[in-house]
Amino acid sequence: MGQVSHDVAHELEHFIVHEAKLADESKYQEWEDLWADDAVYWVPAKEDDDPAQKVSILYDNRTRLATRIRQLKTGYRYSQLPVSGMRRVISNFEYSEQAEGRYQIEANFFLPEFSIQSVRDFRIWSGRVTYLVSRRGDSFQIHMKKIVLVNGTEPIPTLSFLL
Amino acid sequence: MTSKIDYHQLIQKDKIHGSIYTSDEVYADEIEKIFQNGWVYIGHESEIKEVGDYLVREVGRSSVIMVRDKNGLVNVHSNRCTHRGNMLCNETEGNKRNFTCPYHGWVFNLDGELMDVAYPGGFDKPLDELRLQTLTSDSYRGFVFASFKEPVISLDEHLGNAKSLIDRSCEMSPTGKIDLKGGWVRQRFDANWKMLPENDTDGYHVNYVHQSFVMAIDSQYGEFVGTEESIQGVIKDWGNGHTEIDFSEGYAKTLDWLGSTPEKVKSYVDSMHEAYGAEKAEKILFDGPPHACIFPNLFLGEMNIVIFQPTDTNSAVQWSTPMFLDGAPELDFKLLRQSEGALGPAAFLLADDASIAERAQKALLSGDPWCDLSRGLNRETTDADGVISSHMTDETSNRGFWHHYRKVMSGEG
Repeated sequence: MGQVSHDVAHELEHFIVHEAKLADESKYQEWEDLWADDAVYWVPAKEDDDPAQKVSILYDNRTRLATRIRQLKTGYRYSQLPVSGMRRVISNFEYSEQAEGRYQIEANFFLPEFSIQSVRDFRIWSGRVTYLVSRRGDSFQIHMKKIVLVNGTEPIPTLSFLL
Repeated sequence: MTSKIDYHQLIQKDKIHGSIYTSDEVYADEIEKIFQNGWVYIGHESEIKEVGDYLVREVGRSSVIMVRDKNGLVNVHSNRCTHRGNMLCNETEGNKRNFTCPYHGWVFNLDGELMDVAYPGGFDKPLDELRLQTLTSDSYRGFVFASFKEPVISLDEHLGNAKSLIDRSCEMSPTGKIDLKGGWVRQRFDANWKMLPENDTDGYHVNYVHQSFVMAIDSQYGEFVGTEESIQGVIKDWGNGHTEIDFSEGYAKTLDWLGSTPEKVKSYVDSMHEAYGAEKAEKILFDGPPHACIFPNLFLGEMNIVIFQPTDTNSAVQWSTPMFLDGAPELDFKLLRQSEGALGPAAFLLADDASIAERAQKALLSGDPWCDLSRGLNRETTDADGVISSHMTDETSNRGFWHHYRKVMSGEG
């Protein structure tokens, strides 16, 4: 896989930081608009699970991702009413150029969440995130976002915000 | 120890006292009476296919190992070394030739017998005095249940009428077997464990807790949220705390429950016809799988198998896995995606159930402690087998749960 230039890396980082901010602020429509038609938004229970054989915590294609956003926007998605307070930090970026003009970005993330809907818990989520993106207009579109939680195999609380 | 708690006072025909969800004393009492002394669902035989395959599950405060021994039989042992009480298995599943304690190296075979003690010169007790604690276990169609104490009634008696529910789950497969190989998702609820079985066969909340789901998604559940008169589902109390929402009356067409059509899953339909004959196969494919709770901790969640695990008074874990059908692997991908859509912390349904249950856990501590449980008492019917049925939105299922719970907790059965 090819290396990316400093300029491209800078552009990619800028895009990922933008995506993270939209997720943090529950800007549902703007976040959905970042996705390509062949989207896969995926949170496996274990990193090397095959999604054709093992159940995931979340595995959305483009249609289901649209449904997820539609549900969040109804005003009756109690597990995000009101929306969680979130400010995630994404770091340790690794970039590579893939086939068909796609870029892969891998990073660690650290996501403090104030879960305000019922127990008012302050929670920490963490893991490794992998994106596949390609250029669209003067920005990028997301083909895949895979999030491997450090505790995905353990009992985990409600996770209906945008990870 | 005889409990000082008066369960007949706390659980009445038309109301229950909120402390039943919030009291640490009640929780400790039910861990003993329900989860140590009664039949508890552990796992399915399809999860441990080979000799030495094991899995670890939690039963009340105890961790247990379910393992297939050298004779191919399933054993359930306490996950605790008989020497100094260390945990034998820290992994949740795997394959072993024997269990070696990491603390001092004591070795137990798959039957739980103590085979070897390190530095035996200083140890002169007979090894057979210190075998693992093996639970009383029994199974029905591969569903393994166990108890730390010899239960008062047999598993057959405990399941009673509800054996037909397990039969219906198994008969979704052309070979009559389910295969739980899809892995598990575990969701934490900051709510008392009893809210899970109660809510999973509560037909009344669907149009409210899941309003966002109904608005956002066109699914078969859309047939169960109309006016009171239009809802055709039936709520059932099968006795012994086993309860069901029977959706079959409300389905509009064959395979509604799968969100599919006979044309789209032709090889499955054909193999069902071959296995059961046209008439029975068509009935199975129309009625679909049960949506039913088996007391105390198993939920036959349509095409999912779900386990309830109490963790303390105010928290519980719900385990879920897709119910794959032996002989119909072409459905696996769809079942995986449906399981993720319905169950687990990020799902369209269960995420909201958790938040609502957690709000209840807090609100139950406020003011007047009583919860009303009377809905449907004016229109229930009882059949010849003692199964009580009513309108899908009625609390017949919840009363069935509580009636049996009260019996167990008061030491009456």
